[in-house]
Amino acid sequence: MSTEPVGVTIEDLHLSFGSTQVLKGVNLEIEPGEFFAFLGPSGSGKSTLLRAIAGFGPLPSGRILIDGEDVAALPPWRRNVGMVFQNYALWPHMSVRRNVAFGLEERKTPGTEIRERVDAALELVGLIDLADRRPSQLSGGQQQRVALARTVVVEPRVLLLDEPLSNLDANLRVQMRRDILNLQRQLRLTTIFVTHDQEEANTMSDRMAVLNEGVIQQIGAPMALYDHPANLFVADFLGTANVLRGRFSRPAAGPRFVSEDGIELPLAEPPAANADAGVVVLRPQSINVLARSKPGETGDVVLDGMVRYREFLGAVIRYGVDVGEHLLLVDHGHRPGERVFEPGTEVAVHVDPSHIVSLTE
Amino acid sequence: MTALTRQPRGTVGVALVLAVFLLAFLVVPVVKVIFVAFQDPASGAFTFVNFVDFFNTALFRESFANSLYVAFMAVLVASVIALPLAYFTTRFNFGGAALIQTLGVIPLIMPPFVGAVAMQLLFGANGSVNLLLDEWFGFTVPFMEGLNGVIFVESIHYFPFILINLSAALNNIDRSLEESAQNLGAHGMRLFRRIVFPLAMPGYVAGASLVFLKVFDDLGTPLLLNVNNMLAPQAYLRISSIGISDPMGYVISVMLVLFSLLSLWTSFLALRGKDYASVQKGGGGLARRDLGGREKVMAYAVVIFVLLIVLSPHFGLALLSFGTIWSYSVLPDAYTLANYREVFETSSQYITNTLLYAGLAALIDVVFGTAIAYIVWRTGVVGRKWLDYLATGALAIPGVVLGIGYLRTFNDITVPFIDKPLASWWVIIVIALAIRRLPYALRACVAALHQVAETLEEAAENLGATKYRSVRRIVVPLMIGGLLAGFVTSFATAAVELSATIMLVTSETDAPLSYGIYVSMQSAAGRGPGAALGMIAVIIVGVATYLSQRVIEKYRREQTMDGQLVPAGGAA
Amino acid sequence: MKTSRILISMTSAALLAVVALITAPQTRAMEDKVVIVTSFPKDLTNAFKSAFEAKHAGVTVEVLNKKTTAGVKFLQETAGNNTTDLFWASAPDAFEVLKGDGLLAKYDLKATGIPELIGAYPIHDPDGYYKGFAGAGYGIMWNERYVKAKKLPVPREWSDLAKPVYHDHVGMSAPSRSGTTHLTVETVLQGEGWEQGWATWKEIAGNFNTVTERSFGVPDGVNSGQFGIGIVIDFFGLSSKGSGFPVDFVYPTVTTLVPANIAIVKNAPHPQAAAVFIEFLMSNQGQEILLDPKIRRLPIRPDIYAKAPDGFPNPFEDSSIGAAVEFDVDKSKARYNLVNSLFDVMITYRLDDLRAATKAIQDAEAKAAGKGNAEAARLIAEARGLVAKTPITEAQSLDKDFADIFKKKRKKATDKVTGRQAEVEAEWDNMVKDNYAKAKALAEQAESLL
Repeated sequence: MSTEPVGVTIEDLHLSFGSTQVLKGVNLEIEPGEFFAFLGPSGSGKSTLLRAIAGFGPLPSGRILIDGEDVAALPPWRRNVGMVFQNYALWPHMSVRRNVAFGLEERKTPGTEIRERVDAALELVGLIDLADRRPSQLSGGQQQRVALARTVVVEPRVLLLDEPLSNLDANLRVQMRRDILNLQRQLRLTTIFVTHDQEEANTMSDRMAVLNEGVIQQIGAPMALYDHPANLFVADFLGTANVLRGRFSRPAAGPRFVSEDGIELPLAEPPAANADAGVVVLRPQSINVLARSKPGETGDVVLDGMVRYREFLGAVIRYGVDVGEHLLLVDHGHRPGERVFEPGTEVAVHVDPSHIVSLTE
Repeated sequence: MTALTRQPRGTVGVALVLAVFLLAFLVVPVVKVIFVAFQDPASGAFTFVNFVDFFNTALFRESFANSLYVAFMAVLVASVIALPLAYFTTRFNFGGAALIQTLGVIPLIMPPFVGAVAMQLLFGANGSVNLLLDEWFGFTVPFMEGLNGVIFVESIHYFPFILINLSAALNNIDRSLEESAQNLGAHGMRLFRRIVFPLAMPGYVAGASLVFLKVFDDLGTPLLLNVNNMLAPQAYLRISSIGISDPMGYVISVMLVLFSLLSLWTSFLALRGKDYASVQKGGGGLARRDLGGREKVMAYAVVIFVLLIVLSPHFGLALLSFGTIWSYSVLPDAYTLANYREVFETSSQYITNTLLYAGLAALIDVVFGTAIAYIVWRTGVVGRKWLDYLATGALAIPGVVLGIGYLRTFNDITVPFIDKPLASWWVIIVIALAIRRLPYALRACVAALHQVAETLEEAAENLGATKYRSVRRIVVPLMIGGLLAGFVTSFATAAVELSATIMLVTSETDAPLSYGIYVSMQSAAGRGPGAALGMIAVIIVGVATYLSQRVIEKYRREQTMDGQLVPAGGAA
Repeated sequence: MKTSRILISMTSAALLAVVALITAPQTRAMEDKVVIVTSFPKDLTNAFKSAFEAKHAGVTVEVLNKKTTAGVKFLQETAGNNTTDLFWASAPDAFEVLKGDGLLAKYDLKATGIPELIGAYPIHDPDGYYKGFAGAGYGIMWNERYVKAKKLPVPREWSDLAKPVYHDHVGMSAPSRSGTTHLTVETVLQGEGWEQGWATWKEIAGNFNTVTERSFGVPDGVNSGQFGIGIVIDFFGLSSKGSGFPVDFVYPTVTTLVPANIAIVKNAPHPQAAAVFIEFLMSNQGQEILLDPKIRRLPIRPDIYAKAPDGFPNPFEDSSIGAAVEFDVDKSKARYNLVNSLFDVMITYRLDDLRAATKAIQDAEAKAAGKGNAEAARLIAEARGLVAKTPITEAQSLDKDFADIFKKKRKKATDKVTGRQAEVEAEWDNMVKDNYAKAKALAEQAESLL
């Protein structure tokens, strides 16, 4: 049950609720067969964007092209875009089977074919045994699977998932993540999903778009975005970041950064041309703490600091280290038996200049 | 939901008090009346022979069939009226939706017999509409002939029950349920038929069964239209005839009660396990969309047409109240304010009495309703469901039966200090009103209670509030909107109730408005003053309803903006 | 768990509300008021109330308006703990019922100068329980506009109402609903004889537009033009006219004048005030109020008529009003409920069948007129006979045992009545329904011959 996957292109999409602008000129190109995430905090417009693709909400201006066809003005039922709702939206007055059959019935599919395809879809999500139950008799995870089956059974051109994992508990979430991914690969469906959880986006998507206040901040593969955030918002939203504010200088010895309180850092890559003031972002795992006496990697910048507190996170130990007037967060890979620093310990903070991301504001 | 293992003695005590109240003021009086039906008229022995007579008499079989027919047709016509109003106002961004909702409820706050008078003047064989039709086109339409008239008046009077319940059900449908169907290719009528309507069905059935029941039991309208071949008028005519103690009237009362209980029970069965609202929560209602230019014109045309018909009794009443002589003419001969002047000079006590009685009755209803709702849904008191059944069962008791039962039961009980029989003390009217309207208030209280998640109460207890304080500080404040709605429904409908009241009024100074209207409507000098009094009733109750509607709306908006009443994550 | 406390406090709030009501001010009850249950319209009661209260300062008249039937029911139900002083209504038979139940108190009138009879009817109860205070007679009222628009002649006699031209234009109340209507029915039955009387009633009823549930429904229907002609008690017609409605009223030759009455209820809480009220009613001042255009009842003091407006009927001078029938009160009393029941079974509840049969007969007769078709004439006569047929004879109607089936006031457990009302009525109903259907078929057959 797979057809050639299609691409989705969004051009200059604007959308308002009354006088409130929610989407402010969104441009986006999603490749055929891609698993694409809209990531952003609540209120960023990510759900609105997804719903606009499905045809819900106020009429936007701009173009939404699915397989090259502009669907922006089409009603939802003409788009053949499958959407799984955050609360699953299973119809409580119909059995699981009737729920799944619904879309095929609307498409006037012959009865025998409906039966086969519904069975196949329920088989696919592993719920064939519960076909005659009512949605209210299912667990959250099962409801999620029914919602998925109901959507994919009609072979939509694009699959839209609205916060698909938010109503599931932690264990189920990991399982469901994989199941959805498998399903997507199996069906080779162009899939867009909305999430506010960067881990979900990172693990599942081929590429993602980070949204804030109705504007796409950056588009790219998860790792690229993490390592090379286009701005402070993306840097901050994708993971814990130490942010230092200061000025750039470009002496002959190579570009440098001096923070407001005088911490000096050499930069591996020069900041954007003409930028004087700006920030640098240091991921906690790009920094290391060592005993003052220990030598670090060559080329590391070494700063003096003192441990203020320590948190054990399992895989890593996170230190809060006072450097100058800053509290830097530093992650140190945890290996059993290795020495840990107590609060109050004087330490050397090592920074690899190539891990420093410099941004203009 | 709750598994309460220990039942505090106080809770049981309150449940007992409520049970005694219902027994004393509902069960005993009704039993006292219908008991006659099982008595051999000759010997006084227990017998079913009267029921044999009932089914052996062609007239009664016919009346039975007529009552069923009228009730079914009234449900049908009321649905036709209510459906577009509910649909347009809940589904589209529609100018004045609140106004339509209020105007649509107005018929309920007019005594049906008053409506029938006005309708007769407008739509009767020689009413305004037919006089005009005859003049212009040379034919007339028998709107008000026989059963047609009853169906017409009843459906216009009671359709708000369907409108209110259906609108609420439509508003409670989670938007995503509709969107997911659209997403899968459904739209228009199919979407409505397959998804929206089934989901709204419980609300519709609740409203429709109420209409069925009220029409089946209603006495005033057929009497006023001189339709005798129906069960309620047959019962009344037989019970109230001079000197006759024919048990058939009581037999018919039993049939009325039985059938009403049956229809309540049927709707209860039909709705069991279909409380969809509790499965899907927090959707904020269906998406409202804007109408296109032509659609808008069509929609307004439909709504205005329906409202015109629905408000015609009020229009007729207004004309009557401002008119001088209105006789075999399209409109009154001339207009005057004399009727209002007369009413204000002579009838102000009716207004104050009504405000007092209906207000007290509604207060009792809301308090008892809350207590019953809480006991039934949040405690484990043995037999608690019966409180609900009993209170709801009051719906099935025709007002006349209750009135006669009260006279029969409470006349021999003298109230201490004022040395009057309980049956002729005005407080009995308040109690009768409270009992008659308790089912409505109870439903509102239950709905309001359901909106308050138990975790909210538990959170308060966790922070150290006693049960009493957490109910007072958390549960009741959160229920206020719903309780207010219950209060208003009780108040508005109690203010215009007549069938039980008329049996219980023992002095004019204690009489409420509906009684005043009834009396003023029976003057050979014209019904103008009665109509003026009717207009005043409609305006008072209408304004009260509108204002409280506004308050409730505002309250709801605040509640949903500040955060959900129901904590998220309930679906998992 | 303190669930109970909130519940208790809520319940007690409601109870408190109830208790608060008790303490509301109550008028002190001793001869400073008089409580009247009446079926009279406000226009009448208010006029007397204000005049009486003006004359006797400090006494409040409490008027409780109930339909006659409901008023009787009310007094019966509340007898054990009576709160009513006076019962004030038209129909003497309602008073007879109350008297029979022992619910009235005897009273000796102090006022003098009141004649014995009005028309042929004694003004006061010979047994001394209830007193007549005004006369009233039944007649025909019509709406001038209606009659003009439908080009109907103005009816003068009961028999006029049986004419085909009035088909669907006549309204009347049921005798079981209105005591005065009952008297009119009984008057015709006595005046024309049992069989002919019922035949007349059914011929008239065949032209009915409706049988109203309340006696007021008739003037109301005529006033509003819902139907054009009504069989009503005079004051309804006269006061409607007096209030400006385009209606008029006549007394037919066969009518009876009956007094409207008042009586003190047994164990009345305010007997003195009640007596004073009765005397006021009988006084010249009280009698004059009856001439008010919104009231228009016939005073029982002949000298009051001097002050009446022109055209006001005076039974003490115009002997044609209400004198044609010698009304037999005992006969009426004996079969009171039976006549009511018979009327309802034959007319009220079978109105549609009766109308259909009547219409068919009228059509056939119109077609047969002047054609001299003997067979058709025979069929029509047979049809008329079927419609007119009454299930029981006059002798049966006066048979005490049979009439008792409709009374069944079992005083003692040993009182035995054979037969049940419902059983008898079902039998009548079947017969009547059959006859009407057959009559209709015969009339249609006759018409097809022409």
